Amino acid sequence: MTAATDLHRAPDGPGVLARARSRPLVPILSALFVIFIATLVLTSRPEDTTTLSIDNSAEDGTRAVAQILRAQGVDVRQTPTMAGARIDDPSRTTLVLADAGELMDYQIDAVADYPGDIALIRPGQDLLAALETGLTADPTLDAEVQSAQCADADAIAAESVATLDTVLSGGDSGGAELCFVNADGAGAYAVIDGERRVSVLGSWPIITNDHLDEHGHAALSLRMLGRHETLVWYVGDPYDVSTLTWEGSSGDGKAPPTEVEANPDFLPPGTIPVLFILALTVAVAAMWRARRFGRLVREPLPVEVRASESTRGRARLYRRARASGRAAAAMRARAALRMGRRLGVPRSADRAAIVGAIARAAERDPRDVDRILYGAAPTTDAQLMTTIDELDTLEREVHRP
Amino acid sequence: MYITGWTVLLAALGAVPAALVHERTFAWLWVLGALALAGLDALLAPGPRSVAVRRAAPGSVRLTESTAVTLEVVNLGRRRIHGAVRDAWQPSAGTRSDRHRLRLGRGETMRLRTPATPTRRGDLHADLVTVRLEGPMRLAGRQRSLEAPATLRVLPEFASRKHLPSRLARLREIDGQTAVQLKGAGSEFDSLREYVIGDDVRSIDWRATARRAEVVVKTYRPERDRRVMIVLDTSRLSAARVGNAPRIDASIEATLLLTALATKAGDRVQVTAFDRVERARAMGSTGPTVMPQLADALATVTPALVEPDWPAVARLIQSRLSQRALVVLLTTIDASAVDGGLLDAVAAIAAKHAVVVATVDDPELAELEAGREDAHEHYAAAAAARTALEQDSVGARVRELGADVVTALPDDLAPVVADRYLALKASGRL
Repeated sequence: MTAATDLHRAPDGPGVLARARSRPLVPILSALFVIFIATLVLTSRPEDTTTLSIDNSAEDGTRAVAQILRAQGVDVRQTPTMAGARIDDPSRTTLVLADAGELMDYQIDAVADYPGDIALIRPGQDLLAALETGLTADPTLDAEVQSAQCADADAIAAESVATLDTVLSGGDSGGAELCFVNADGAGAYAVIDGERRVSVLGSWPIITNDHLDEHGHAALSLRMLGRHETLVWYVGDPYDVSTLTWEGSSGDGKAPPTEVEANPDFLPPGTIPVLFILALTVAVAAMWRARRFGRLVREPLPVEVRASESTRGRARLYRRARASGRAAAAMRARAALRMGRRLGVPRSADRAAIVGAIARAAERDPRDVDRILYGAAPTTDAQLMTTIDELDTLEREVHRP
Repeated sequence: MYITGWTVLLAALGAVPAALVHERTFAWLWVLGALALAGLDALLAPGPRSVAVRRAAPGSVRLTESTAVTLEVVNLGRRRIHGAVRDAWQPSAGTRSDRHRLRLGRGETMRLRTPATPTRRGDLHADLVTVRLEGPMRLAGRQRSLEAPATLRVLPEFASRKHLPSRLARLREIDGQTAVQLKGAGSEFDSLREYVIGDDVRSIDWRATARRAEVVVKTYRPERDRRVMIVLDTSRLSAARVGNAPRIDASIEATLLLTALATKAGDRVQVTAFDRVERARAMGSTGPTVMPQLADALATVTPALVEPDWPAVARLIQSRLSQRALVVLLTTIDASAVDGGLLDAVAAIAAKHAVVVATVDDPELAELEAGREDAHEHYAAAAAARTALEQDSVGARVRELGADVVTALPDDLAPVVADRYLALKASGRL
């Protein structure tokens, strides 16, 4: 007894092109959406939070000074690695080493060999020693505004700066000129003018976005960094193990080393592209699994409510209204009915008959039974619970075999 | 269009050359190339119009029993077809493995069986048939869903039929067919026969004995050809869930068992499902066609969220029954039933017929009434007691009107109603 239906075939509807033509907005909007997403993906750059980085717009970044320098016509370029510096002409370039406190010995050697001007911001002690500055950097807690107190033109132009975070001292052996000296003889800024000019900014917060607009900070920073038309900015990175590159740096070959060679990696070459293609495969697998084999089927569900729901609702109403009297009355009537049925007392029997029968069955005082069944209505939850407890006990006694 | 796992594999295989090339662009090119190849494959796949489907479902199946629905797929195109097909039914049809591989030559037909174990009573409908046609490279293909309506009627489970043999045995005892040391317990005079040792001496017919030279006893049998009318209340209270199923399921089980029993006992049964209008009816058939007709009629009965129209029920019963009959009302005794006119209807029916009002007890009420954990449970117990009292008083008023009241837990309702019927039959009150 099977009921077969007719043959069914897909309707001969309009094709994809015809549908696109009838609703041109859909393909156009989806194409725009794809372009929009692609643009977002391609142009987005992760936010830079490195201290003293020229892309960092936070308080400890140096974006402000970099922008001013660019506006003044200086070609400011930040390099993530030493090898990426690739300085074409050291004589027309200022190399900024910011926060370079953790350089390896060979990196320091390469910096010492560099012939062009160097600006050190928050330098490490090793670097100061290798460049033969004779300076020592010490932390300070006093933020005092000091006047130039030296012969350097940049410092004089700045007139006064604050000594913040770190101060420099010593430097006589290297011929360093200390500026903005405080009472202890330590200064915020020092400069060694020789074959190449090495300027050292000890009080590095001077150059940050936060403090650049105070005192003569801007003047000092801009004059210190704006001497040449090119500025290469490097922020110290403990994971960078490459060495500084400039035209003619490697003795045997003229060409600077490429980035790949300067980035020795512990993973075998090609790992990144393999991982990349596997990630794309995951996306393709998602397309494979995401296509449903036919739509989800709807199940018409009937309305079903628990039959006891109304009783539970009534219980909540009793509770909220604290209707302990009413609740006790229901329990008493029910118990009396049950016991009466058990003892064969007719429904129509009066109070005395029921109480008498129950008292005989339970071997209790009729007054006691009368109080339990017909006593005063309880007024509190505790009294209600006591009443119900007494009813239960009485019923157990009556139903005792 | 859809892509297959082979496309994914092809994309993953790009990892091998990517390890040698070291270029990220290569990865993009490889994966986009794989996708483009898949797109080309989908274009080359046979069109969805090259297949046609035909569905077939068994006419009906009993709930919880297994059956199979079939799907025929015909290749109408000129090319060989590889692919898959999904024979989708609504979830309660219980078709778990509804996906099949397709391999069809030109002009060939495939019959695919999908086993089904329905989990809900009523008419279950088939959804779309989805066809996937693979391209020549097996990388991708075209997908289309086709309308092919079909319906599977799922009959009530009739789980209570396990109670039927014992009730039939009891019926035969009443009938006097079984050798028991009792007279046939019916009330209708059957015949006179010779006394044998063991017969009840009270059944000796002294007049007949006087006429003949031997002792003669009267034999009785239960009345036959009585009318039984079962009214199944499908109004809002029948939708309430008791235990795991709505009340109406217990009522349907009771209807089926009582009908099976009464038909075997030689009575004529008619059934109506009613709330404000008649939702289903089964009447007028006799013999082996009664049960299939009834199951079919009750298969699609669902509770309606309306108040029952009791005066209309009374009028319907008066119009359907010309002679005295047993009327079984499968409903809910509830305080609201009084306002709805149940009592008036029972009074009107009981004036002419024997009435049994059967109702499903809620085991949760007893649980609530026994709760003594905290103050809230005490109030819940009181509320349950109040509900029980109300039901009790309505039951008492129904009894005062001359009707019988039967209450039982959902699983017990059918045997309890059947027992009540047998008791009435034995005492000759039909």
